Amino acid sequence: MNLHGRPNEDAWGPRRAKLVAGVLALMFIVIVGRAGYVSVNGPAQAAETAAAELSRRADIVDRKGELLATSLPAWSLAADPRAIWDAADTARQLAGVLSDINVKDLTKRLSDSERHFVWIQRGLTPRQKQAVFELGLEGLRFEEEARRVYPRGQLAGHFLGFTDVDGKGVEGAELAFDARLKRGGEPVRLTIDAGVQFVLEEEFDKAFADFDMKGGAGVILDASTGAVRAIASWPAIDPNRPADRTELAKPNRVIGSLFELGSIFKPLTVAAAMEAGVLTVNDTFDVSQPLRIGPATVRDPHPLENPLAATARDILAFSSNIGTVEIAQRLGSGKQKEFLGSVGLLGRLTYEGPQSAAPLTPSEWDGLTSATVSYGHGLAVSPLAFAMTYAPFANGGDYLSPVFLEGFDPAKIEKRRVMSASTARSVTAMMRETVTHGTGENAEAQGYEVAGKTGTAEKPGPDGYDPDRNVTSFAAVFPASRPQFVVLVVLDEAQPRTGERTAAYTSASIAGRVIARAAPLLDVQPVLDASIAEARQSGLRAGSDARTP
Amino acid sequence: MKRLLIVGGVIVAVLAVAVYRAKLGAEETEGRIEGLEAQARKVSEEINVLKAEEAYLTRPERIGPIARERLGLAPAAPGQYTAPEALSNRLGEERLTLPPEAPPR
Repeated sequence: MNLHGRPNEDAWGPRRAKLVAGVLALMFIVIVGRAGYVSVNGPAQAAETAAAELSRRADIVDRKGELLATSLPAWSLAADPRAIWDAADTARQLAGVLSDINVKDLTKRLSDSERHFVWIQRGLTPRQKQAVFELGLEGLRFEEEARRVYPRGQLAGHFLGFTDVDGKGVEGAELAFDARLKRGGEPVRLTIDAGVQFVLEEEFDKAFADFDMKGGAGVILDASTGAVRAIASWPAIDPNRPADRTELAKPNRVIGSLFELGSIFKPLTVAAAMEAGVLTVNDTFDVSQPLRIGPATVRDPHPLENPLAATARDILAFSSNIGTVEIAQRLGSGKQKEFLGSVGLLGRLTYEGPQSAAPLTPSEWDGLTSATVSYGHGLAVSPLAFAMTYAPFANGGDYLSPVFLEGFDPAKIEKRRVMSASTARSVTAMMRETVTHGTGENAEAQGYEVAGKTGTAEKPGPDGYDPDRNVTSFAAVFPASRPQFVVLVVLDEAQPRTGERTAAYTSASIAGRVIARAAPLLDVQPVLDASIAEARQSGLRAGSDARTP
Repeated sequence: MKRLLIVGGVIVAVLAVAVYRAKLGAEETEGRIEGLEAQARKVSEEINVLKAEEAYLTRPERIGPIARERLGLAPAAPGQYTAPEALSNRLGEERLTLPPEAPPR
């Protein structure tokens, strides 16, 4: 209170008000300034983040770490139509330096002043970028992006697949492992071996010099784990340029196509019968006369030397349809179907990787179906699915699923017992005879004891089976005395320039060359010839004698 | 009281300057870190490009003929394997052969 009885006036009041107003003004300026900064710099930062995310897509490498797919920085050209004065002139000048430009279409898009942003071309090379830069055109800008690159070109092209321009997997491993690749970080390591893959693909290329053929498919897999070491579809594709694929090259024949594979089914029929206890290695069959089953007659294209008493070994070695049907009749259609189901031929395979096509199975499983299926007709499967059926012959009787990613624990591989070790050994020995004395002679690879079976199947057409178009195949395990790997080669409509067009002259010879070249890369020790083995034995004996007192 | 206000004001001013300098220093450090990160990104991209080039240059269809023609290297053929006990039988059978020297350029 002052002397006049009025309360004291607050001398600091106006100053405080000014101070508060000043602070508020300062805060306002800071907020406005920050908003302005964000509005100017925000989009650039966002674009940078998107590019960084794209470039984070993980690499794909083979089992030894060889690079198969990676993401590299690239530039894309965009335009703001509102900032372009003469759209036609801009389009014309750009077409002069970029080959894929459609002048009419680009002029139309650049004339649309309602739009703020138009892509002109994605994934420019540094040279293209420089050429556009030197044009000095207004309204254009470069956006940094990542571009997926496959440095080994066509190698495993079908299996790797490719991405779209936004870096999203659209086919093959790029699609199957998209989520994992998008996370970035460590490369995705495939079970594929680039060296073995190259051998398989090169042999298909060489085959094309000898045969006229529509396509081919091949698989090499480790029989103890199911790890796929090579998987090829011919004609090959270059995933760097997916748009250049021809119609013939588009299908992945090893995974996505279905074939009736013919006589390579016969070892499965023999194994099923032995497992069921209705066939022994010494049983004989009369295959001298054609066999009539309902409306159909089963014949052998090449008569056997001893048709009145053919063993299962003779039936496989000389590919007797009659003998195989007789074995299937002993087996019965129910057990045959059960066995084929157990080796994954009657349903879609389940595994991690690009998905295999589901088989085309017979609608009815009567006597005639059972007979034709026993030698590989009437049931269409993917080559990959079929290759898996030979793994039990090599590993002592276990069926396993294909594996495409390294880092698996061999102890945790799911196995299904489908035949005894004794059956697996017996059928492998019969297939070895097929190569040493039968239809598979051209598949022999010195030192690697190829045990396999040829298959020649006519292709179905609108009027039944077409004798002028066939699928030839060769399925094998090697080395026969200690099998480690399965090989399958399938040729679609192979027509040799000279000679026969059966599997014995086409796919068997390719398989033999593939095995001879791939085995050293797969660390398979060749089987020593007799003189060396003898020397080893005598060396061991000498060592043993020396140690004896 | 007045002295107290002056002292307080000076302290606040000193603190404000200290905070300003600290913030400025942090921004400079942040700028340096961003620069180094950008440099690391660039180097990493360059490494990726070099790895891709290496993969391209070591394609089997390119490296195979070079290894064969210039170094005489090829995968071991089955006939080249032998058991240690049989080595004595094979001594002198094979000689190390090197490709002829390339003419000087």
